[in-house]
Amino acid sequence: MNTIGGFRSYCESRGRMSGVATPTAVRSADRTLFPNNCCCRCRLKIEPTNTVREKERERKEGTRFLSAIHLPTPSSMAIKPETRLCAVTFFAKLHPGDVCGSNGLPLTPNSIAILGRAQRLKEVQDEHLCQYLDVIRGKHERTIVVSEYVGCSLEEHVKRNPPLSLAQILRIFYQVACGINVLSQHYLVAHNLEPKNILIGPDGRLKLFNYGLYFMTKGGAYVPFPVGNIRYMAPERLLGLNGNVKSDVWALAMLLVELVLDLQLWPKLKISNVVRKILAFARSNNVLEKIAREHQCFEAYQTMDAELRQLLEKCLHASPGQRPLPRELLAHKCFADILQADREQEREKAKEDESKQQLKSHLPPLPLLLRCPLSQIYHLWQLAGGDVQAELKKEGLIRSEAPILGLPQIVRLNGASVCPTRSQSHLMDDRVVPLKMHALLQRLSQLPASVYFPLLHSPRFSSQHQRFVLELQLLPLVIRERDIEYQFHRVRLFARLLQAYPYTAELLQREAAIDIPPLLRGAVWAALLEVVPNSGYGKIDKFTPTYTDRQIEVDIPRCHQYDELLSSPDGHRKLRRLLKAWVTAHPQYVYWQGLDSLTAPFLYLNFNNEGFSLTELAFLSLFRFIPKYLHWFFLKDNSAIIKEYLSKFSQLTSYHEPLLAQHLSSISFIPELFAIPWFLTMFSHVFPLHKILHLWDKLMLGDSSYPLFIGIAILRQLRSTLLDSGFNECILLFSDLPDIVMEACVIESQKMYEATPKSITHRQHALRSQPPQSLDIGLTDVELKHLQLEQCPRISAKDVQYLLLHSPSDLALIDLRSVVDYGHVHVPHSINIPFATVQLGEQRLEALNVPQLEAQLRGRIVVCVSNIHQNAVEFSNFLVACGVQRTCILHKGFNVLHSIEPNILISN
Amino acid sequence: MDSTATRTVTFVYNYKDHENKDCLAQLDIKLPFDQENLEECLTQLLNQMDPMMRYLDENINLESKLQEFVDTEHQKFLDDYAEKLITQAANEEIDVEAIVRNTERLYKDELLQFADRVGPRDEDIFAQSFHRLVHSSSLEEILKRERAYAKVIAGMTEHMDSEVETLNTSQQQEMDSQINQLDITTTSEDINNLLAQQYTTQNFVRKRYESELEAKMGHQKNEYRDWITSQVSQMFQVSPVATPLGNRSSMFVSQQPSMEESFTIHLGSQLKHMHNIRILSANVTELCSPLHAEESLNGLNMALGLYSSSLCGVVVLTPSIQAEANKNIIKNANRSTEFHFEQMDVQLEKIEKQIRSLSTTDSSSTPSTASSNSSAEGSVTPSPTKKHVPRLKTGDFFITKHSNLSQSHVIFHLISDEPINSPSEINSRHPVILGLRNILKTASRHDITTLTIPALLRHEMSEDMTVQWCIRRAELVFKCAKGFMIESASWGGAELSTLQLLLPDDISESLFTTLAGMVPSVFHVANPKILVDTSK
Repeated sequence: MNTIGGFRSYCESRGRMSGVATPTAVRSADRTLFPNNCCCRCRLKIEPTNTVREKERERKEGTRFLSAIHLPTPSSMAIKPETRLCAVTFFAKLHPGDVCGSNGLPLTPNSIAILGRAQRLKEVQDEHLCQYLDVIRGKHERTIVVSEYVGCSLEEHVKRNPPLSLAQILRIFYQVACGINVLSQHYLVAHNLEPKNILIGPDGRLKLFNYGLYFMTKGGAYVPFPVGNIRYMAPERLLGLNGNVKSDVWALAMLLVELVLDLQLWPKLKISNVVRKILAFARSNNVLEKIAREHQCFEAYQTMDAELRQLLEKCLHASPGQRPLPRELLAHKCFADILQADREQEREKAKEDESKQQLKSHLPPLPLLLRCPLSQIYHLWQLAGGDVQAELKKEGLIRSEAPILGLPQIVRLNGASVCPTRSQSHLMDDRVVPLKMHALLQRLSQLPASVYFPLLHSPRFSSQHQRFVLELQLLPLVIRERDIEYQFHRVRLFARLLQAYPYTAELLQREAAIDIPPLLRGAVWAALLEVVPNSGYGKIDKFTPTYTDRQIEVDIPRCHQYDELLSSPDGHRKLRRLLKAWVTAHPQYVYWQGLDSLTAPFLYLNFNNEGFSLTELAFLSLFRFIPKYLHWFFLKDNSAIIKEYLSKFSQLTSYHEPLLAQHLSSISFIPELFAIPWFLTMFSHVFPLHKILHLWDKLMLGDSSYPLFIGIAILRQLRSTLLDSGFNECILLFSDLPDIVMEACVIESQKMYEATPKSITHRQHALRSQPPQSLDIGLTDVELKHLQLEQCPRISAKDVQYLLLHSPSDLALIDLRSVVDYGHVHVPHSINIPFATVQLGEQRLEALNVPQLEAQLRGRIVVCVSNIHQNAVEFSNFLVACGVQRTCILHKGFNVLHSIEPNILISN
Repeated sequence: MDSTATRTVTFVYNYKDHENKDCLAQLDIKLPFDQENLEECLTQLLNQMDPMMRYLDENINLESKLQEFVDTEHQKFLDDYAEKLITQAANEEIDVEAIVRNTERLYKDELLQFADRVGPRDEDIFAQSFHRLVHSSSLEEILKRERAYAKVIAGMTEHMDSEVETLNTSQQQEMDSQINQLDITTTSEDINNLLAQQYTTQNFVRKRYESELEAKMGHQKNEYRDWITSQVSQMFQVSPVATPLGNRSSMFVSQQPSMEESFTIHLGSQLKHMHNIRILSANVTELCSPLHAEESLNGLNMALGLYSSSLCGVVVLTPSIQAEANKNIIKNANRSTEFHFEQMDVQLEKIEKQIRSLSTTDSSSTPSTASSNSSAEGSVTPSPTKKHVPRLKTGDFFITKHSNLSQSHVIFHLISDEPINSPSEINSRHPVILGLRNILKTASRHDITTLTIPALLRHEMSEDMTVQWCIRRAELVFKCAKGFMIESASWGGAELSTLQLLLPDDISESLFTTLAGMVPSVFHVANPKILVDTSK
């Protein structure tokens, strides 16, 4: 019983869990679609006796039961409650001939522009609007839009339940007006209102569908076809004036006229005549009356509810100035009654909630999955093998026609061509294809509720399923990212963690170390970078021209343009704003080429959160990212910083790959020749986005030294090629970096990162959170000239002490002082090789005449300790030449060890 | 929206600054207003204020005020504008009929719902049937049949050729003997008569054969298409069998060009697309040789690909005289019946007709083509005073489709008027290069994934083509092709998987090696991916 109570509280709190962006939409859907008590559902789910078949049957019964409850008539049963997603498709307009943009670059295909614009629609969420989920770009300018779908269209609904009562009609009127009103608050107009684009859910709630077509096609400019049904089109739109929300009010009134008078507008008229009729309304004083007369329902017109008639007449006024705005419409008194009735019903419901819940406890559950945010459902649907294009093909919406038959006969130089007649498969077909969710539901139906609503702080509830997750974590990342069940676990877990952020920051960090689910990567990264939205982005001046504008303008159309989002006009605009905002916000810095590449991943992941909304994740992520990893890199004179960075990179290469480093320096292939773009852009300039994402997943978890190890991992992957190459070959190789296996690179770099003591990576210019202590390497102790002179990095006494105490087996200390000094005082287990006695001419370890020296050094951190710094430097160089890995020099020499307390030295 | 209809309103914002002084900021705002510009306007207004105001969060209040102002003004503007339009329409100041016409056309042409439904065309149905059949066990039978048909035609053509040949010799003899007798027994008039008579005979014989051939081809085509359709309907009755996979070797081209080298390249700066580049020297007609002539098995390859989305195309250069294709290619195409498309002569005839109608319509309206013709040795600039001869110009191209040629489904006949004996210098803005770009664009749009282009923009070598010239020309073509291929990634069509760079077959071996050596330096040849065992 304890368990169930726990679940109940989780289910109840799910409003909070459903994603930061979606609370209202989902919570309200939750309330109305699943009126039965959640705790009983959980109980049913937990009961282990349920077999699959029983569950299946239950679901079917549930369907029937639900529709019986909510629908006014049981006849509208054909729509399954699990139809939640659908797709529509159309072709974008081809650019005529051969034209260039104002910047001299080829024009962006319209389908990409649509894709970019449509991103904004994803953010528009309301109970009266179907949520947009995805826009997919097919071959040959095909565009596919995936959005939410509920119940059936108003068109079908009316066919099934004729005629509708006045109250029903008023409800429809009110709810559609609500939808239009929300749209206008988002500065959108639908312009394609018609019964087909209004959906009625099983609970009787109306949602506008496909309302974004006009917006995403930039008022129809990106598509060859006209947007909107001609019958409902306001006269001013026919005259060429679009974008007025009152045209939508007209359309709404027209479709209500159909409902009220129970007729179909001009059913048999040709389009040209319909257009004539509508244009003739311009001269009419009473459009409604005219319509009624034309359709022989003047009587119905006269007997119509007077208030409603007045309202409709007002909405159908020829000049839009006289029509009410949506918000004025909502306040009209003819809705007062139904609103009152609804409110009372609501109150009653709330009153009897408790008792009803008891009564209905035998109700079978609705799949838990449907309580997750739609964006997650769609993501999982894709992982479960869902393919939108295949579904459309199945429905005959994507017809494959032999391309050879459509070839033009003549193409002129200017792009004009003579083509055979277009086949009709390229015309706009407004059919809606539901995406079947059966497979997905089936796949996830076996999972216990604890996976749907994971318990974060109660490890005892994570039972055998945790084992499954742990097992999968042994598999490569690419497989994990495609495994639906695993992703389901991760998405649910991270979604919860993100909701509780920043209180779960630590937990988030730990989970992110395993992997980050692609769906939530943008938000997770922001959390890892400790971003806390503060709406500061809005205050930053992003428009005043500056002297960097020209460079930004040149760089943007060259930045990761293979990606559809980043190559869309909206992507360009957003990237420009981000870059300008960053430059304005950092007067001490300048714009260096490469900042664009650095910004691209953040924009890609937070495309909608660039700054329009208050979350502004992209900017803040960048804002935090740069000081963390690229502190001072964007100074006007950044040579000191870059030189130090690259010298450290050379040192670390010697440390981890002594032979390779030796070879590269012998052919003078210095990091300055290849590594600057690597580090200045954190590799975002050299790799495609999908690789950067995986790379940065790990980068975010490390500190500012992590990128250095990525660089070494890349060198290591190319090691054999590099060792065989001379200077010219190396330059050629790096001018076009070959395919790097990113996963191996990530694993390697992580290994090195973890195995390298922190002080080895010490840089003067790194951002530091704590001031250095006495045993650390001091802030200005190591200057650039030291770095450049010494092949091996220095290690701090603190790290040596730590190694001595905690893992002495990882440490090999070579004491270069004389035998006498060594006899006097020394570190336990250290090897004494008096510097004065050795011959460094021959680059072989054997030349030192120390028995089994190689075995003693292998796999350990080799620390050269001396009283004379130069000796240690020379000896370490010798070791590197011999190919000894992990050689370093003790900073400040042997004497610093005296100051360690408690004492670690043995003295005789 | 009508671009002429705009209005400017002034937004005035009164506020108190940090010293509690009354201030005002104002900005002219253009209507219709684009919501995306709101932030910019906001910034401009804020910049008029003391920087302090930003920190006092004045922007929040300002934004709501500005938003409110813009909302009302924008709505008012739209309403007023609509009012004006409506009044105009009511007073019939607007051409209502034009709107009616345009609207109707737009709806009928672009929306399936309103379009006059036409069923799939015959060729679509046939294409689908054939594609289905060719990917079934009937493939072999199809090929057998095609080969048999081709044999008949080839036989007839040969017969015709030999008969014409014999006639020619006999006529020649007759003529010779007549000429020898000139001024003895015959007059020049007699010879003229004889010539006319011979000409008629020859013409007659040729015409007879041609009509016979045409009839035969028509007959074959009908028979073949009927057979295919009947086979498909049969196939629906019996359970379908998968394509026989066995004869893998036949998938490869059996022709051997004299020299050839292949490369795999990566294009793109971050995300890399892989393409194949093959440089080869061959006569262009070899790529368009009759499909069933020898016992090559390439027929299989071509039949499988015909209605697929991986077509093969060849660019053939042709002078601008009418729509004239390479004679040898026409001859090759006529060696067998074209079962799927029209016979090449018919296709060319139709194209010529198109050109004629095209020229009459656009002779005045294409300043862009006229200006681009001014380059080095472009075609004759059409002068409006002369009688206008319709013709394509340098850089234009026409397309013929084939199912009976060995390595090409599609031939792009690119107009190039470069004189044979004087190789000239061209740059990347030359019409032929731009035409090449159009070809790549067309290829991408229509799923042509293998394309052969003449790498020197010449099909034959000539004396004047020095090594230096060839290197320069090849470099230009390589670089332009590379640029177009990089660009093509954003066209959203089919990706070109193989680009063949064709060099003349009479090119010297050393020059070929030189030019082939340029490929890896111009295109980035993919570095070999070496997987190192990192576990050690």
